[in-house]
Amino acid sequence: MGHMPAAGTWQACPQCGEHHHRLEWAPWQICPSCGYYQRLTAQQRLTQLVDQGTFQPLPDLAMTAATTGFPDYAAKLATAQTKTGLAEAIVVGQAAIDQQVCVIGIMDSHFMMGSLNQVVGQKICQLFEVGSQRQLPVVLVTASGGARMQEGLAALTQMSLTLAAKSAFDAQGGFSINVLTDPTMGGVTASFALQADILLAEPAATIGFAGRRVIEQTDQVQLPADFQSAEQLLTRGMLDAVVPRAQLKAQLAQLLRLGGKSA
Amino acid sequence: MMQDALKKIRGAHWLSSDAVIQQLWPDFFRLKGDRLVADDPALTVGFGQFEGQTCLVAGVNRGQTLTERQTYRGGAVAPTGYRKFSRGLKLAMKRHWPVITLINMPGADASLAAEKQGQSQAIAAAIQLMGQLTVPNIAVFLGEGESGGALALANSNRVFMYQHSLFSVASPEAMQAILKRPVGEVDQLLPITAQALQQQGLVDAVLPDTDANTMVAALKTQLQTALMQLADQTPLQLQQQRLTKFQQLQTLV
Repeated sequence: MGHMPAAGTWQACPQCGEHHHRLEWAPWQICPSCGYYQRLTAQQRLTQLVDQGTFQPLPDLAMTAATTGFPDYAAKLATAQTKTGLAEAIVVGQAAIDQQVCVIGIMDSHFMMGSLNQVVGQKICQLFEVGSQRQLPVVLVTASGGARMQEGLAALTQMSLTLAAKSAFDAQGGFSINVLTDPTMGGVTASFALQADILLAEPAATIGFAGRRVIEQTDQVQLPADFQSAEQLLTRGMLDAVVPRAQLKAQLAQLLRLGGKSA
Repeated sequence: MMQDALKKIRGAHWLSSDAVIQQLWPDFFRLKGDRLVADDPALTVGFGQFEGQTCLVAGVNRGQTLTERQTYRGGAVAPTGYRKFSRGLKLAMKRHWPVITLINMPGADASLAAEKQGQSQAIAAAIQLMGQLTVPNIAVFLGEGESGGALALANSNRVFMYQHSLFSVASPEAMQAILKRPVGEVDQLLPITAQALQQQGLVDAVLPDTDANTMVAALKTQLQTALMQLADQTPLQLQQQRLTKFQQLQTLV
């Protein structure tokens, strides 16, 4: 069957349904027909943002959360690991962005919707700790549905533990930039995602606390399509900038040049 | 079992934060408003004297009558409420007042208005401030507390829970919907009850659910002891102790 295109060569746009060849999606994974931004894997994001060959993973914490409590959780986790090739829903390391060295974390929504569990939380703490130790700014690209239900309160309290790590980083005079991507929701938005010095977002990213259906239930209203969009948040004063994907690296580099130098 | 507990703590006649405040802080002054948008009646924030010492107290109001329940959104705290709370916390730090929170709520307000007024940011700021508080803080679960909305009031040096109260990542109903497990099963899969969380080391005391007077008296005794224990702690010790306390929940291997 050598004449058949390899799987994934043609991709339908989740927004407009048009099929496009992978070369048409490249390099930014934006739909040529409607401008829809594909959700990137951590690897794709790294390739787009950091200087080639500069990414050095942080020391592996080699931790896993006990999965005995919740039925089917261990299997779900294993599936996510196989599917993404990642150990958890975040990748952390040191890298250069247009020669500006920083510590960087990238969440991956393809791994159980980027949900915040104990390992993800502790890796975010590590990001801030290493940022302090090495006196480097922290860049965090968020993508998450919120706290991971299967780990219960231990996942929820990562909200306060990551914020404590952020406070310690701030007390050392650290500089941090968050890039909010689609989707950034729930316990992640209500903790570390919105507490950076500079908040950037990708166009049309959905960013909010409660999900659309929950709000429609609470208020018994139909919400407009752009509700909780990055653009809406910008007009309400919740973000500093909405940055197109092709300009994100340059924008980060500028901010790191201006704010990232330790005094 | 679980349904019975929920019925009890959500009932109109359950011990309310207002009733606790009236008995333990009779000379209470209520702060109003977040100085930005509005006052949130779902969260009482104010200060009063307990055993001769002024405390900052925040209590969630679920409401008893239908009108009250509508006004208070059943205890779903709005961004204006969290910002009023943060305002109170800053005052407490400046004046060296301990902070007591009284929790019985379904989670934070999930409405259009709440999103527009920055619910996520308001909660994040409150959680962070509670963690960094330079004065002791004590959280009291009168009933249920769920999601980041409850964590903002619970990130404390001491956690007390009444016997039938719950502390969970999401409401049992939401967990049922997301994880497709019956409501009655959720407490067997994850530690969310007062007893289970005491075993995990998060909860310092489980208080008996009896009549209102006995319940408040038991709380009074626990508060006296805890405030005395925490009085000599330095700000750094208090901050570190909160971290260590919540790290106990981790099941990392």
